[in-house]
Amino acid sequence: MTSFEDADTEETITCLQMTVYHPGQLQCGIFQSIRFFNREKLPSSEVVKFGRNSNICHYTFQDKQVSRVQFSLQLFKKFNSSVLSFEIKNMSKKTNLIVDSRELGYLNKMDLPYRCMVRFGEYQFLMEKEDGESLEFFETQFILSPRSLLQENNWPPHRPIPEYGTYSLCSSQSSSPAEMDENES
Amino acid sequence: MEKPLTILRVSLYHPTLGPSAFASVPPRLQHDTSPLLLGRGPDAHLQLQLPHLSRRHLSLEPYLEKGSAMLAFCLKALSRKGCVWVNGLTLRYLEQITLSTINRLSFSGIQMLVRVEEGTSLEAFVCYFHVSPSPLIYRPEAEETDEWEGISQEQPPLGSGQQTSGCLGFLHSPSQTWDSPPQPRPGGGTEIQLQREPPDSTLC
Repeated sequence: MTSFEDADTEETITCLQMTVYHPGQLQCGIFQSIRFFNREKLPSSEVVKFGRNSNICHYTFQDKQVSRVQFSLQLFKKFNSSVLSFEIKNMSKKTNLIVDSRELGYLNKMDLPYRCMVRFGEYQFLMEKEDGESLEFFETQFILSPRSLLQENNWPPHRPIPEYGTYSLCSSQSSSPAEMDENES
Repeated sequence: MEKPLTILRVSLYHPTLGPSAFASVPPRLQHDTSPLLLGRGPDAHLQLQLPHLSRRHLSLEPYLEKGSAMLAFCLKALSRKGCVWVNGLTLRYLEQITLSTINRLSFSGIQMLVRVEEGTSLEAFVCYFHVSPSPLIYRPEAEETDEWEGISQEQPPLGSGQQTSGCLGFLHSPSQTWDSPPQPRPGGGTEIQLQREPPDSTLC
């Protein structure tokens, strides 16, 4: 029998895909330390830190406005679940972390939804998790978005977009009431 | 003025090795807000040289509940082979639980009692360790009953000194009293709640 036939069955691996965007990403080199599209395999017990300090963080951003440790991600296993779940924790004293519509202060943490938008400052991360069988490892993959993720993914959810053309003036973003002459109907 | 640190008062007991099992444990350990790692390995913040302990056996992670100004602690099992029994719950690899004010832990033959005293500092917390000469989690001898009698399933009244077989009581450390209020956290141990000793088949 070949080694392929004898080999242990491979397990699928939990994968976290992170699509990132920052308006200054082309000019400032903030993502120069990130290896985009590379799938990185990490032990499941690893606490993955994101921030400016390369001695502490696994993924770093070349930006003085980023905290030394901005946030962290770690895996855990829920009781009676066969898959791993992510937990995100804000490690910044200065900047709140926004996960979809929830705001996390310093040391606050929450379960990371399967698909969610994580924001701090002008940074946008679209996090998408794919379940796997393995309890030993997980993978990460960064993707660079050329445009804002808030528009790309209709995030936050907007009013329905008409099939043809743009919003009508009546449904514009104007927040002030339109003035009408008392004689107008 | 510096804010008071959250204190974890930790009592330790080993049934066969005795106090020598904890010879390397300092009386006081201050730690920042990163997870505190307990294990046999060199990178453990609390290193115990016990053969059945994993190199990274468990971690205690400080965090803040939304709306709270006091540190909470999340205990996570990191051993692939062993487990951690906490307040009646068995945690296996990567399972985790938030600690209550008073917590009973058992793993690798170690018995541990952890009491959390809240402080307001978000920079660090401190552990004070005490080696107990007597068990912290015990199982009373099974009572002999006449074959006509059923085994009582009721919890004995507090302080009666009588326990049904298979139920645990807690020996008090000097600082414990029966007057402590029940703890609201799910899965948490209360002063008045009897919890099962981990069965031999699931010893952590």
